[in-house]
Amino acid sequence: MAAPTADRGTRVPPEQIGYLAGGPGRAAETALARLMDAGLVRVAREGWVSTVHETELGETTAVETSILLRLSKPVRFDSVVRQAAKSPEMRALHQHLRARRLTRNARPRLAVWWLFLVIGVVLGLAAFLEPWTLFGAAGFLGIAFWTYGAKPLTRAGREALLRVDTGNRVLAVAVEGFRGRIGNRPVGDHFGLPQSVVKTLPRKGKQQRRRARSGAASSAAGCGAGCGASSCGSSSSCSSGGGSSCGGGGGGCGGGGGGD
Amino acid sequence: MAGIKDLGVGIGWRSEIDLTVERLPGVDFVEVVAENLHIGHLPESVTLLLERGIPVLPHAVSLSLGGADEVDLHRVEHLGAIAEAVGAPMVSDHVCFVRAGGLDSGHLMPVPRTRDALDVLVANVKLAQANLPVPLALENVAALLEWPDGELSEGQFLAELVERTDCWLLVDVANLYANARNIGTDPERFLDEIPLERLAYVHVAGGEQHGDIYHDTHAHAVLPEVLEVLDELCSRVAPPGVLLERDDNYPSDAEIESELTAIRAVVDKHRD
Amino acid sequence: MTEIVNKTNLSSARERLAAQQAELLNALLADGPAPAGFDEQRLAVERRALLSKRRGIVRMLGPAVADELGDRFRPLFDAYAVVYPRRAGSRAREDAAAFAEWCRAAGELPEKRKARWKFWRSN
Repeated sequence: MAAPTADRGTRVPPEQIGYLAGGPGRAAETALARLMDAGLVRVAREGWVSTVHETELGETTAVETSILLRLSKPVRFDSVVRQAAKSPEMRALHQHLRARRLTRNARPRLAVWWLFLVIGVVLGLAAFLEPWTLFGAAGFLGIAFWTYGAKPLTRAGREALLRVDTGNRVLAVAVEGFRGRIGNRPVGDHFGLPQSVVKTLPRKGKQQRRRARSGAASSAAGCGAGCGASSCGSSSSCSSGGGSSCGGGGGGCGGGGGGD
Repeated sequence: MAGIKDLGVGIGWRSEIDLTVERLPGVDFVEVVAENLHIGHLPESVTLLLERGIPVLPHAVSLSLGGADEVDLHRVEHLGAIAEAVGAPMVSDHVCFVRAGGLDSGHLMPVPRTRDALDVLVANVKLAQANLPVPLALENVAALLEWPDGELSEGQFLAELVERTDCWLLVDVANLYANARNIGTDPERFLDEIPLERLAYVHVAGGEQHGDIYHDTHAHAVLPEVLEVLDELCSRVAPPGVLLERDDNYPSDAEIESELTAIRAVVDKHRD
Repeated sequence: MTEIVNKTNLSSARERLAAQQAELLNALLADGPAPAGFDEQRLAVERRALLSKRRGIVRMLGPAVADELGDRFRPLFDAYAVVYPRRAGSRAREDAAAFAEWCRAAGELPEKRKARWKFWRSN
């Protein structure tokens, strides 16, 4: 289980870009995109994801490894993303981003934050006449700062998103998601994914709206649902009905030993 | 026989690798396992391949034509209906039995090479043919054990089957190799004895050596020895088509592509 | 006249062949006596190959049961398979379901599996 590749340099690896751009769901999409790009998994038209047999694994991130481990049988495309987004490895990735000061705890902005600012300024001016009001001024300015809120991304986090080359299809997923578009082309097309498979993922806009409603950090880019407090519950693993076809009635080719 | 000539190089279509099959270069035709398809809703991928003009040939595994029981006409009907749904020029199954004595082996079992077995097989094949809309090709299977008291060699058995039923042959070179390893069949003699002018196409598949037994798994790489049997076949006749079968442990697109390329190289070697 | 003779010939051929094939499958699938003339070792190889193929299909169709049984899956399946060879006309899915039922009856699986599906969640 290798450390995220970018720790070697200053560059932020795709999975982390994904997290910064769209939260754990996007990071999970990015990890899956990376596995597809490396030829370690394949997706079938009906949306089943399976591992590719007998390939050199190369270096994989913890999230990628957790995805591969859950693919002992084919799993639906959207389930792969959902399970990876909820995985402990993803929470560890979030901790890592905070440790690198790319994200922080987001605070919602209070609608009346400016009121505290005004009171603080007024008290500050009053301090020319009554010096003791300075304490009040400091207090209210502090409250104003706090209620102004904070975006989930730090300046460093926002900067990391500025220098992303979306010509790279994995990074395109990180920034836009499989459902997004680069230029005029759906990102999923770069992976040969049918839209019927891509559309099993939640829509990008929907995630953002939900985030806005939940109040955390309204404006600008950053982190989807879940950069703020730890959003997802701990219990994971819902089994998906193992798919794939099997000959009805009769023989079935090959397999086991002997065959046709 | 129109429509059977020049199928080219193909691969067995399986739902797990449908997108791979669609995107691989040099797939001239595909085969579908008839029992896995349902009339009325063909997989989108199969429809797409048909739209591209790729021939889709239904391959059955459950007719049990070598079985002692009368042929189950429902199964034959299903096969025929799939053939019509995909506009196939021919269908195929195996020279084998699947069920007997009320049990289902879940596998393609070899038939005894006796006059009795041949007579029953011929009767079953004729009944199936009469109920199919397109010609039927029959494939040699891989055997792990040999029936006692065989009266004919495998090649003679198939030759007489063709003569009496006018069926086509689907020669699986991996099965030929497996039988050479496991029960001592001579592939060259087999190829000498069968009517090569009735060859519909050829199967190639991978397998694995386990101790002194070769298992025809369709889940491993194609052995060079199997390509040598293909080479031997191609030195006698230009096969109308050669198809790679892979049923499990699917490798990367690149690896599948290189197996198709290797097959094409063997076929092309004898074309010049 | 020859037609009738051929027909009787054919039906007696069918009978002889049926007996041979049934005897072989009974030996391979239901632990029946080895038919005369076969190599015993090869019968054992074939028996294992058929069993392993059937086991693989049941594992694929019912991965939850296989996961739950863990290391016990293989010995339990092998014990089940020889007592319940697949009947002609049965489907692989029925085989997987029957095995799970057999395990439950033997107390190897909990009677009713916990509801892992919630109606408001598709997965």
